[in-house]
This record gives sequence, C-alpha cells and structure tokens, in this order.
Amino acid sequence: MGGPGSSPCASCKLLRRRCAKDCIFAPYFPSDDPHKFAIVHKVFGASNVSKMLQELPIHQRADAVNSLVFEANARVRDPVYGCVGAISYLQNQVSQLQMQLAVAQAEILCIQLQHEPTLQSHHQLLELDQGDKALLLHNNNIDNFNSNNNNNNLCYAMSSGQFSSNFAPSSIMQMQMQDPPKQESLWT
Amino acid sequence: MNPKRCAACRYLRRRCPKDCVFSPYFPPNNPDKFACVHRIYGAGNVSKMLQQLPVQTRAEAVESLCFEATCRVEDPVYGCVGIISLLQNQIQKTQNLLPRTQAEISVAQIKPSQNQHSAFM
Repeated sequence: MGGPGSSPCASCKLLRRRCAKDCIFAPYFPSDDPHKFAIVHKVFGASNVSKMLQELPIHQRADAVNSLVFEANARVRDPVYGCVGAISYLQNQVSQLQMQLAVAQAEILCIQLQHEPTLQSHHQLLELDQGDKALLLHNNNIDNFNSNNNNNNLCYAMSSGQFSSNFAPSSIMQMQMQDPPKQESLWT
Repeated sequence: MNPKRCAACRYLRRRCPKDCVFSPYFPPNNPDKFACVHRIYGAGNVSKMLQQLPVQTRAEAVESLCFEATCRVEDPVYGCVGIISLLQNQIQKTQNLLPRTQAEISVAQIKPSQNQHSAFM
C-alpha cells in the first residue's frame, strides 16, 4: 500500500508521482513487480486502467487487473491478433474435438442400427438434428464409416458449430456455450 | 465541418489529414467502432500500436482490438479472457467425454457378438 513512509507502488514509480494512501493501483501493482504495470500501461494506458478500476466494485478489481495483464501480455506477444489469436486457436480445437465426438457417437448409433434396426432406430433418430438424420438414413454403406474419407464427410455434415470469422463476441460466446450431443439418448 | 473526416477524427474533433493512421480502418459510417476502441485503449495507444505494424497487418490488428474492446465493455472484469476460459472448459469437458464414448463403441461392437453366441448355445 502507498502512503507516507512506505515505498510507492509500481504504477506510481513508473509514473513518477507520489503514491497516495488511497492509490487505486497500489493493491494490485506491488513495487516488487514493475513489469506488470509497465505492460498494462503500454497497452491500455494508466488513465484508462484507472477509469476501468474505478467503475468496478473493489472485490472484482483484482480479477480485472489479472485479465488486463493477460490481455496486455498477449497483445505484446502478438501485436496483430493479441488474445484473439488464442481464441481462434481454442475455437479450432473445440471444433475438432466436437467433430471427433460426433463421429464417435454416430458410430455407436450405426452399430446399434445394424444390430437392432427396428426397435431402437426411431427413438434414437429423434434425438438428432434433421440434417444428421437425413445423412444417416441415406448412407447405406455403414462399413465406410470406418474409413477416413467418409468419416471426414460425416464430420463435415454433422458439425453444427460454424467457426465464425466475424468478430462478434456475443455470438461467439453463444456458439461456444452449446453443449456436446447428449450421451443418454443413444442407450435408451 | 469536413464530411470526409474518419470516425476517429470526428470523435476527436480534429482535422483528418490525408495520411491519417486511423482513416482506412475507422470509416465515418461506423462511429461506435472507434468510440469503443478509444474507451478501452485510448487514441494515442491505438495510433502507436498501428504505427508499429506493417500496413498490411493493420486492418486485422484493428479488428482484433475492436473485438477485445467490445469484450471488455460487455464484461468489464474479464473481457475476452472470459471467452478463453469458457473455451478451455469446453475443451476439457469434450476431452473427458471422448474416451468414454470410444469405450462405448468397443462395448457396442462386442455386445452383438455375445448375443449371437448365446443364440446358438
């Protein structure tokens, strides 16, 4: 904490000013880590950070500072894409994993359809999207599901999450909050 | 007032020079874009960041800055780090689910042959 007699916080040191007792930066930018404030100041600017922190309740400021430091570090590492580069990478990973999961679940369904076609198929198919059902019903060559090429086609057809190249945070967050396909429907 | 000023210069109430660093990326028909970026980063910081980049990468840089600024406005505590956290959780969940599903494939493949075997006993 700043104040008379104590050492100034990292921000006041960098800004070369007196560190007041109620310095807004002092709790989050201790003097033993000057790099932390330096990078945030470089990307956002001290006055912007100060304004952002003042608009937040005190109990949320530590998290806000940590996320600002993270973003600032990402921006310095990658001046063009910053955090968006990481988001893009993770979205691709999510898409790939969801496709693998969808393929695996389709394989289970196909095995079941092979062995219990009349009893289970109608109930299970009700759990799929229309596009998925159409693909499964029209695909008579079940053996081909094990080949890479057809798995890729099935993956492409069944993947419902489209990676959005449009940088719209709300839409990306909504897309990513979709749950993976439910497991229990395949076993009822 | 010069109607051809870019959104940044209009916002900053200044003349828009021919070589304005902002004008290619902040057209006058979208004032909110610059307002959002200015609110989080400040015009000076954005200008510095753009000037340090090769011209061909600046458009992408502006879009990513806008995205991050919008995230920060929507979530003042976590900004786009909140999205990263969500994605990491989703990856973790799906990675946990995948081996279970693959095990179910093995069970499904074995099950019918056991039924067939028992039919002939």
